[in-house]
Amino acid sequence: MTEVKVNVHYLTRVEGHGNIVLNASNGKIEELRWEVTESPRLFEAMLLGRHYSDVSQIASRICGICSIAHSTASIQATEAAFNFRPSEQTVLLRRLLYDAELLESHILHVYFLVAPDYLGTGSVFPLIETHKDVVVRAIRLKKLAYRLAEIIAGRKTHPIALMAGGFARIPETGDLKNIRQEIVEAFPELEATAELLKNFKIPEFTRETEYIALKNDREYAFLSGQIASSDAGLSPLDNYLNITNEFCVPHSTAKYTRNKRESYMVGALARFNLNSEQLLPRAKKAAVELGLNAPCHNPFMIPVAQLVECFHAAEEAVDIIDALLSRGLREESFEIKVKAGRGIGAVEAPRGILFHDYTYNDGGIIIKANCVIPTNQNHNNIQKDMEALAPAIINKPEDEISQTLEMLVRAYDPCISCSTHVLKARITK
Amino acid sequence: MKPKVAFFDFSSCEGCQLDALDLNPEELIALLGAIDIVNFREVMSEKSDDYDIAIVEGAITRESEIGRLQNIRQQAKILIALGSCACIGGLNCLKNHLPMEEALRIVYGKDAGYYDTIPARPLNAVVPVDYYVRGCPANPEELLKVIKAILLKKKPEIPGFPVCVECKMAGNICVFERGMTCLGPVIRAGCGAICITSGRFCWGCRGLVDEPNTESEKEILTKYGLSVDQIVEKFKIYNSYTEVAR
Amino acid sequence: MPYRRSILIVDDQQIVRDSLSDWFKQAGYPVTTASTAEEALEILEKHDFGIVIADIRLPGETGLSILKEVRVKRPWIKSIVITAYPSPESAALARKLGAIEYLAKPVSPDDLEKLVSEALSSTSEATVSTSIYRITTPETRRINQSFSLNSADIRAIVEGLLQEMEVIGVKTKQGKFVFDRIKSFEELCLDYDVTVLPPTRYLRPAKEALLKYQSGETPVVEPVMDTTPRAIIGIHPYDLKAIELLDEVFITSNPDPNYIARRNSTILIGVDCLYPSKHCFAPSMGTHIVESGFDLLLTDIGSSIVATVGSAKGAALLTRYTHAPLASGEEIARQKAVREEAWEEAILKHGLFLHIPKEKLPKLLEENYDNPYWETRSEKCLSCGSCVMVCPTCYCFDVQDEADLTLKSGQRVRSWDGCVLVDFATVATGENFRHDKASRLRHRIYRKGKYLLERYGKMGCVGCGRCAEACLAEIASPLEAFNAIAESDALKKQMIAREIKTRSELYLPQFAELIGIRELTAREKVFEFKLPEDRPLGHKPGQFVEVMIPPIGEAPISVSSSPTRGNTFQLAVRNVGSVTHAMHNLEPGAKVGIRGPFGNGFPLERLKGKDILFIAGGIGLFPLRSLIQYTLDCREEFGRIIILFGSRSPSERLFTDELAEWSKRTDIEFLETVDRADQEWKGNVGVITTLIPHIQITPRKTISVVVGPPIMYRFVIVELKKRDLADDNIIMSLERRMRCGVGKCGHCQINGVYVCQDGPVFTYAQLLTLREAV
Repeated sequence: MTEVKVNVHYLTRVEGHGNIVLNASNGKIEELRWEVTESPRLFEAMLLGRHYSDVSQIASRICGICSIAHSTASIQATEAAFNFRPSEQTVLLRRLLYDAELLESHILHVYFLVAPDYLGTGSVFPLIETHKDVVVRAIRLKKLAYRLAEIIAGRKTHPIALMAGGFARIPETGDLKNIRQEIVEAFPELEATAELLKNFKIPEFTRETEYIALKNDREYAFLSGQIASSDAGLSPLDNYLNITNEFCVPHSTAKYTRNKRESYMVGALARFNLNSEQLLPRAKKAAVELGLNAPCHNPFMIPVAQLVECFHAAEEAVDIIDALLSRGLREESFEIKVKAGRGIGAVEAPRGILFHDYTYNDGGIIIKANCVIPTNQNHNNIQKDMEALAPAIINKPEDEISQTLEMLVRAYDPCISCSTHVLKARITK
Repeated sequence: MKPKVAFFDFSSCEGCQLDALDLNPEELIALLGAIDIVNFREVMSEKSDDYDIAIVEGAITRESEIGRLQNIRQQAKILIALGSCACIGGLNCLKNHLPMEEALRIVYGKDAGYYDTIPARPLNAVVPVDYYVRGCPANPEELLKVIKAILLKKKPEIPGFPVCVECKMAGNICVFERGMTCLGPVIRAGCGAICITSGRFCWGCRGLVDEPNTESEKEILTKYGLSVDQIVEKFKIYNSYTEVAR
Repeated sequence: MPYRRSILIVDDQQIVRDSLSDWFKQAGYPVTTASTAEEALEILEKHDFGIVIADIRLPGETGLSILKEVRVKRPWIKSIVITAYPSPESAALARKLGAIEYLAKPVSPDDLEKLVSEALSSTSEATVSTSIYRITTPETRRINQSFSLNSADIRAIVEGLLQEMEVIGVKTKQGKFVFDRIKSFEELCLDYDVTVLPPTRYLRPAKEALLKYQSGETPVVEPVMDTTPRAIIGIHPYDLKAIELLDEVFITSNPDPNYIARRNSTILIGVDCLYPSKHCFAPSMGTHIVESGFDLLLTDIGSSIVATVGSAKGAALLTRYTHAPLASGEEIARQKAVREEAWEEAILKHGLFLHIPKEKLPKLLEENYDNPYWETRSEKCLSCGSCVMVCPTCYCFDVQDEADLTLKSGQRVRSWDGCVLVDFATVATGENFRHDKASRLRHRIYRKGKYLLERYGKMGCVGCGRCAEACLAEIASPLEAFNAIAESDALKKQMIAREIKTRSELYLPQFAELIGIRELTAREKVFEFKLPEDRPLGHKPGQFVEVMIPPIGEAPISVSSSPTRGNTFQLAVRNVGSVTHAMHNLEPGAKVGIRGPFGNGFPLERLKGKDILFIAGGIGLFPLRSLIQYTLDCREEFGRIIILFGSRSPSERLFTDELAEWSKRTDIEFLETVDRADQEWKGNVGVITTLIPHIQITPRKTISVVVGPPIMYRFVIVELKKRDLADDNIIMSLERRMRCGVGKCGHCQINGVYVCQDGPVFTYAQLLTLREAV
């Protein structure tokens, strides 16, 4: 009579609070849950009744890692509601800012949250003794991404100059030139990271699922496009509710989603599976070297896909800086004409597709708000992955089971705090 | 003997903790030479209940959080509140303007019964706090300043004066002269007036100075075109937990 | 044309004639000289020359008349004009008359020789040099000399400086003007009104490291200096004056090496302010025009830019980058005019000026320390610090040591701080020595209008108006504060003056009727007076009047009764002089001249709520009685009342009926003594100081009012000090010889104060500062 009890309370090395619970006896699984226990902060209660000029400030605070994603999605929703088209320079700057966040988020995840499992430590800190160059490299790359975001928006976490309509301040040409050089000098560091990843013993596990991401025909989509599904093709943004189909479950303060199958995946691997053709050359090369081919159905490969996207983001950043420098940066003034209306902003946050859906009245006040968070959309997939994986490893020692399940959840890079905060809301008075 | 430091978070976006690690390699290595991080759920699997200094991010928005915080306070000799949520309640307190049941109903609809929430509050509404590192996000340099001060056994010199001082030191043109309004004159400095330097204005994330002349600030905001309601709305974003936002 | 090598030099100054002629003679030219145009023309009748070099200004006809003649009579003679007063007009005229060169003195003989040799060797027609302003570069440019520049010269200077050092200039930023690093001449906007922050921020930056340190067994400290060469272009006169003040503060006493390092490596190029901002009141502070304190000062007069040299550095700039000639008399006159016009217009437009001469500010502020203005004015103060941050004469700073993460080394950093910030005067225990907004605002204004002037001899406010612009609550302007205080002060003085006027036209008394006489002792009587229409005297306890008994004269007498005792007043008088003798012979109904009341009286507000210890010695009771009666009439407003009275002997006791009343009252404590007793005397014997040990007092809450003969004061004060009474809580009334009562005749002076105006009531604390007192 072998009892297996796995109870990981407050999983470490993920953003937010979640538990893994597994109870099995004699090889039969009785309970298996991915529990999200994060405190709901009720962001919609914060957004309702706000003037549009404060909205992105508040939306940014949904998440500390992907604040730029939330700000941008929020701003795009607002601009869509008011029928405002940002200038070309603004779009370029936003994409550049995005690359900064993507790079930072993925590096943080790969080095600080995932790598320790593969290097046999509980965190990066002991690695300072044994693999100092690895840690230094990780910190330098992260700092580079932070610095790029600072140059464009004043600050990486909760960006300042980013606002509805454009940028409150234009970066200095000198600063852009300098950081461009630094990014170019960082490619060898990314390559060293790829070398490191090649040595990771990534578990073999496959479970095919539906993949959903943004897609457009100009570039590997981060900020604009339509909703692409590996099962259902392209959909316009305003169809998102029919695709996400959120529902509550008792053991989670976050809602779950499903579309064509019982669950779907968003994030780096989903993007890769749908859009890998549009990756820039270095990224494509890295994918080949890392053995990542589309479509990949192993969620443990998500960090690998993230590293591939790092190459892409860095290369794209250089291209965008070149474009900005050759166009010449200009102070731009913009005027937003407030009107009643509804707008949807969709972006590919580092962890997957993110929707902000706002309805404004003619005074520019939000009367209805809904957000669907990437990790929300992954929770169900995680649950289903666990359900498929657990039986295969149920006869292993308890801590190995625990470790593997933890690594599975970690691979998704869940951003749990985000996912509990935002649901459908409307002003009832 | 290096002091043992543990990081905790409650209802927050975790941005403050992550920014705390935004250091140069030399700085991070020097920091780890000065303290032992024994608990940092977000980046470490190792855990420990034996710590001297607790750095806590996030506000209290649920009954269950109260007990957890009190345990931390019992264990830690020094408690540092990190970020606006922990120091002054921050954004979380915006929901306090609604009755709790209504807020839950708005959010979760018929499933509201699954969830519990209480009016959001800063840490010091529940336990005594020794040091405050304010801001949304908290300034990592200020956290380092506080840690250094604790290690050197001196009082950290955190400004008590308003943002205007740092704004002028940075050579900024006053927000009010640019057709916008700003809470800077009653908000505590320490951020270097970064939001104004980046082209926006002060939203008040670091909280009010000790003796703010809010009457005067409200008069000034009115003079520059805001209605009384608009003024209160402005204060509400970060400072809902104080009188001024009523 | 026949070639001639001979030269005719025409100048009325012998030294010019001699030096030039020697030079040319040495160079091998035949030279003739003349001292007037007439002389030259006579010579020209008879002789021929190759070239004429003539000064324009000559006694009699001008040098240009020579050119006229020469053009007609001997057109082959080339002419060169030299002048100490170059102007476009005379240059044009000279050209019209055929001059080939027009040069401004002082002229270099070497250059002149080259010109002459060129001119004489060329066989072409006379050509006029195209650059009328091609004037030889003076060899030395001296301080205070002014030169004439055009904008190409300015550009040359700026671009030259940009090659060599950091250049800070005035540029626009978001619709305002700021001092900031410039990379090209085009960024400069020198015709600005005011910058947001003053240029002094480059001499005292917002944050600077003072030193680096290493802790450990042997701590090491080393200074951090900034010696980056810099030029600041566009400094207005008021900011230059501010820099003068900072120099005084940071260089003259306790020289500040960090400031000095920066100051020495900075070039200051000033610019006259021709578009003062709407908050600027520099003329009132005497800072709108400067003669010194800069390396170079530029004034745009329209047709050119006048550059005044202020130092060798400035002269070197001109010499290195320009060939600028001396400015003409007209240009210099225009420079003066342009400045005056600009400021006049500003004053007319904005109406900002000080209502009193700035020299009077220190005294005005001294006298208005407790003016309620500070309280009301500071109500809206946010203590935000904007006023001090933008101020060119503010220089207070905070110092902090910042350790690095190794905790073993670090640096000491100083950064801007300000007295208006809440915690500026807070100490480690938490006590704040300037806790309220009113005292902080007042302190700042006093720094600007009084303290800095008294300490450094330079006015602490330069009238730039930046604080008025920056203050959101609109309460920062020192001009408004000074004017408001001046107004309230003037009002106060007016009221006093009016009071005196309605009473007595200063020296004319009104006549009061004597309605009652009472004998107190053999030589003391108390007189009761009534003014016409039963008017009250309107006096405060402690004041005195000048009593005139025609035809004898006038004497100062303290008023012995309280104004609370009806409209009549009492004067208690000892028969000791001519006037008092005459008084003692008066009958009821007599008319007596009264001037006053004069003097400051006892400080009633201060006494309220306190325990009062009255100590009267002999006829010291006369003035003190007015206050005693007042306190008894308003008994609830005071704490304990203790009266100590000493007389020489029982027969010399005064107001015995009142004394009896006082000893009966249960709400006061009354003790009496006599120096010498008689047979009947049952009370205390001994000098008045012997009573003091008998009473209990709480020093903190007690104020002692002491009046008596001079010798008594000394001993009483010793006793009071033994009882821990603060100097400020001991109040006395002094007597001096008086004649006018209004602070003019001079007799009652003690050091710098007039007893009749600033007294006769003084605190012991005040008297300690008067060396002649007590």
